[in-house]
Amino acid sequence: MLAATELAPTAERPMLVASDIHRHFEGLHAVDGVSIDVPAGKITGLIGPNGAGKSTLLAVLAGTLPATSGTIVFDGKDVTGSPAYKRARHGLVRTFQLPSEFARLTVLENLLVAAPKNRGDSLIGALRGRGFWIEDERRLVQQARVLLKRFGMSARESDYAGTMSGGQKRLIEIMRALMLGPRLLLLDEPMSGVHPKIVLEIQHYLQDLRSEGLTILMVEHELHMVERLCDTVVVMAQGKVIGSGTMSSLRRQREIVDAYLVG
Amino acid sequence: MNTFYAVNLLVYAGVDIIACLALNLQFGVSGIVNFSFIVFQAVGAYTAAVLSMPPDTANGGFQHYIGGYQLPFPIPWLGGAIAGGLLAIPVGFVVLRKLRSDYQAIALLVLSVIANAVITNADKFLGGAAGIALVPPPLSDRIDPNTESYQYLYVGITAVCVVIALVVANRIVNSPYGRSLRAMRERELAAVAIGKNPVQLKMTIFIVGGLIAGLSGAILVGFIQVWAPSVWLYPETIILFAAIIVGGRGNNIGAILGALLVPVGFEEITRFLNNSPSIANLGPPGLIPALQWVAIGLLIIGFLWFRPDGVRPESRRVFEGAPVREDR
Repeated sequence: MLAATELAPTAERPMLVASDIHRHFEGLHAVDGVSIDVPAGKITGLIGPNGAGKSTLLAVLAGTLPATSGTIVFDGKDVTGSPAYKRARHGLVRTFQLPSEFARLTVLENLLVAAPKNRGDSLIGALRGRGFWIEDERRLVQQARVLLKRFGMSARESDYAGTMSGGQKRLIEIMRALMLGPRLLLLDEPMSGVHPKIVLEIQHYLQDLRSEGLTILMVEHELHMVERLCDTVVVMAQGKVIGSGTMSSLRRQREIVDAYLVG
Repeated sequence: MNTFYAVNLLVYAGVDIIACLALNLQFGVSGIVNFSFIVFQAVGAYTAAVLSMPPDTANGGFQHYIGGYQLPFPIPWLGGAIAGGLLAIPVGFVVLRKLRSDYQAIALLVLSVIANAVITNADKFLGGAAGIALVPPPLSDRIDPNTESYQYLYVGITAVCVVIALVVANRIVNSPYGRSLRAMRERELAAVAIGKNPVQLKMTIFIVGGLIAGLSGAILVGFIQVWAPSVWLYPETIILFAAIIVGGRGNNIGAILGALLVPVGFEEITRFLNNSPSIANLGPPGLIPALQWVAIGLLIIGFLWFRPDGVRPESRRVFEGAPVREDR
């Protein structure tokens, strides 16, 4: 059960506060005492060399991996003990480093399956028959088609998601996450393995989403992209945060340049 | 073809169709590799039997079993279905919550073997290895079961149950809930990340599958009037899996086709081969029945290799108003 507190996120108040997060695998400290704030309505970048613990941290924040210790406060509520599916329902939604489309569902179904508030999405609702849920379904199909149009994928709605290109699968994942009405989107390398043309498209979509007030925390290796997109950047190495700030300020910090930003 | 053979074939077809619809919900739609499926059918059969039979002191007390309540039809069948559903709760609670899907399959296979061994050796519980005999057919107190009209009545009642199972399966598969089950089957972690509770999804469909499996067992025991561990050995589940794979995973019509092609059609053909003296005398005794299992295995491998989606693959959902593409 999520414990409510009185504070709602604002531009000054963070959407997510993670304090002293540890995640250990046997003897390996993949995340070792990380504390970060994710400001509301901004895009925060999370960068670092391979094995720095970025994806593990993202999984811990989303709840798909439990934290060994530490606390996570999302939108003013302590979600540390909440399972991942409950965090997603409350608007803390993640995407994955590898494409994770539902391959044998169509593109439109990939979006519909994420939509909350469908009366047919329970055993009892299903057994009551089509008449019980068809209005919800029609409303959500319209909602999904608006997203498909915005992301330029209307023509592919009836194709199996598994037949899409890598970039299209990334778009499907982002649209699917948006169907949940997220307040914080955790993106794990959304540009990796994507055609440069679609990288630019994704960049524009993310900028649009930020301008609409969505908060984004994004793991990304492509530093030029991070510089263009992210308001603040957190740098991790060996499971710890070694710095944060704007990209230009980070470039001036020698230990960060040595650890990661060489070149 | 005489009436008894036709009725026998139709009732078996009905039972297998119901069982395949249930297994399709669990395996085809939801990705739960329930290798203990036959146990749920057996529980339904035993429950229906002991609810409809007199106490074991009747008939000279030659057999031993619990219960013996002599309840009228349809209570034993409903009881059989409920027993299948109830069994799914503790099994699902242990197996489906923590284990990865391949370990779930192993645990369920082991459960099937253990359950059979326990019932075989607990001879005071449900008749042990000898099983239970003289199970009264439904409505036998009102209609003579040996008449042709009763035989057709049984086919009719079985057909009604097939329709009920098909309506339930169709409503689930074609609903948003069915879509969530398919999403979980495709990629469980991604389903969790969009707010799906996989334990809840698996438990509910496991219980529904258990209910329908239990009903299929109740129908079968009312017809053959005996039930013993030898009729629900774990390989029986493999035949049903073969039916789903051949018919088409995730498609209810495919499940029905699979039931007709594998447990009914395939087994009947190989049974005829066994009855032919020139073939039955080939090789050592037991060769032909053993080859029947080999053939089932080859059928599964052949379909997985050459036609993994089965005869009737899962249908692609095209929604009203979808743009028409010229290249299709």
